[in-house]
Amino acid sequence: MRSPFAYVPGSGPLQSASPGAAVFYLGALVAVAFLYSSPAVLAAAGVGVALAGHSAGADRAVRAALRMGLTLALLIVAVNALVVNRGETVLLRLGELPLLGRVDVTAEALAAGAVIGLRAAAAMVGFAVYSACVDPDRVLRALRPLAGRSALTAALISRLVPVAAADAARLRDASRLRGPAAAPLGRAALVRRLTAGSLDRAVDVAATLELRGYSLTRPDAARGGVLLAPPGLDRVRGFFKSRYDARFYAVGAIVLLTAIAGKVIGADGFHAYPTVEPGFEPATVVVAIVVVLAGLVPWRRGTPRRSSA
Amino acid sequence: MGRSRGTAVASGLLCAALAAAGCGLGPGEGVGEVSLTVTRDFGAERLAAPVAEGARESDTVMRVLDRNVSIETRYGGAFVQSIDGLAGERQGGRPYDWFFYVNGLWSPVGAAEYPLRGGESIWWDYRDWSASTRVSALVGAWPQPFADGYEGSRHATAVECRGGGASCALVRERLRDAGADLTAAGAAGAIRVLVGPWARLRADDDAAALEDGPEASGIYAEFADAGGGFRLQGLDEEGEPGRDFGFAAGLVAATRRYGAPPVWLVTGSSAAGVRAAAGLLDGARLRDRFAVATEDGEETPLPIPGGGPR
Repeated sequence: MRSPFAYVPGSGPLQSASPGAAVFYLGALVAVAFLYSSPAVLAAAGVGVALAGHSAGADRAVRAALRMGLTLALLIVAVNALVVNRGETVLLRLGELPLLGRVDVTAEALAAGAVIGLRAAAAMVGFAVYSACVDPDRVLRALRPLAGRSALTAALISRLVPVAAADAARLRDASRLRGPAAAPLGRAALVRRLTAGSLDRAVDVAATLELRGYSLTRPDAARGGVLLAPPGLDRVRGFFKSRYDARFYAVGAIVLLTAIAGKVIGADGFHAYPTVEPGFEPATVVVAIVVVLAGLVPWRRGTPRRSSA
Repeated sequence: MGRSRGTAVASGLLCAALAAAGCGLGPGEGVGEVSLTVTRDFGAERLAAPVAEGARESDTVMRVLDRNVSIETRYGGAFVQSIDGLAGERQGGRPYDWFFYVNGLWSPVGAAEYPLRGGESIWWDYRDWSASTRVSALVGAWPQPFADGYEGSRHATAVECRGGGASCALVRERLRDAGADLTAAGAAGAIRVLVGPWARLRADDDAAALEDGPEASGIYAEFADAGGGFRLQGLDEEGEPGRDFGFAAGLVAATRRYGAPPVWLVTGSSAAGVRAAAGLLDGARLRDRFAVATEDGEETPLPIPGGGPR
């Protein structure tokens, strides 16, 4: 079964946009989550990226990321409440605990943990949408002129890790098919088999790369570069410009500018300590609304639902 | 039925265990009264009326402060940035920040982590720390730390008489009246009170820190060798000489090295100075002072006000 975060080609605006535009747009929404501590804006950033994912047809990725993000958020709230004693409003005294010392659960520590958790959840949804909607090959191709070897390494990883995951799933299925009386497959045996298979595959990949001349320097020594792909592929550079790019760049810029302006005029007045101050100003509402509306940008009337959704 | 009864019994036992371990809802029961003082410039000016209030089981220095004044914090609530709008910053090129003392001692932990057990004297001071980043002990919380101890436990007090003569008896009397448990000199863990002229006290390692300046001792005073005698010099907030006292001057100051017990100095340039210093040991004359010099019956708080930025 395909991972919910795996890229699925599509014809929507986000999938069709060039990688730079898509990354800038999604990055702007995630950046808001890191710029602000206001729960209203953080929630808006989460809703914004979730809407962007929904509009792009990546519902499955959004749902999976929300499940993971909110679970992580709950964990962060619980840990923060236990390890941070600060805050005026003591809700619960747990006395002296081993390693933790004196533990007072305060409303402020819970609020601070919720803010950190909300930020983590919004970032996870943002990365899930990116992973599901932005073609990794196009991202790597865009990065190749900047860091050729890194792009090659990332390209190999992006292919070999899913292959290893598929191998593991197949091995588990095979072990189950041996019947209920068979001894269960131990984790160590599975890891051993996967490692051996991965090493075999790595040797094959290295041989293939060598055969295709990836280790050779360019004939044009003056350029001093490394030949990473057949020269003909260079011509495709610039081919993937999209009519949606301007839209994503513009909205990303609006989101960033609004967030920075809001920060300057005091839209982020939230403080957890020493007592919780919501800092809910009209400017906070404006920033939150802009961020939520930005999530609708990938929407297109009549967008066909993707098979993975 | 049996299963639900078992669950109820287990829950009851868990609650009883938690209650026995000191757990509970809310801030908890009262543990006694604590006092709060907020000043600036080494205690020169009170910024809020002194407060005495009952502390709860869960109270910390930060919680008591937050209940009584308006504060802003940094670093996730761990550091007090401003009190009643007066914020830590550079003024005239000199760094100013808020520092707190409990029972006259600089705290080894942050205000949010300092638990209160009742009886503590909390003092917040906004000061220039260009000359000394760490003033580890001060005298203005008298009769603390002698009466109730420090850092959660009570400690005995050892008066070490180094040529102090009759002044030693006066110091012992004042300490006893203040509620100190007096013990023999050299007792482990005891608060040390050194009494005697500076020429004798300077042989003690803790007292000798005074000769290395405020950065080492936290005391804004020094004794200058004036050929056959020592003259007391008061230093200003920048650690520069601010006032020369005569040969009859006395000094009451406190210092502390790392986690060792605090050391009080009751000293002077001469026997007369030591007598004058011993006479200062009472609440009214030491209150809100980091250290005090005395000459001709006149008390001078240290450091000497240098008229820095306000």
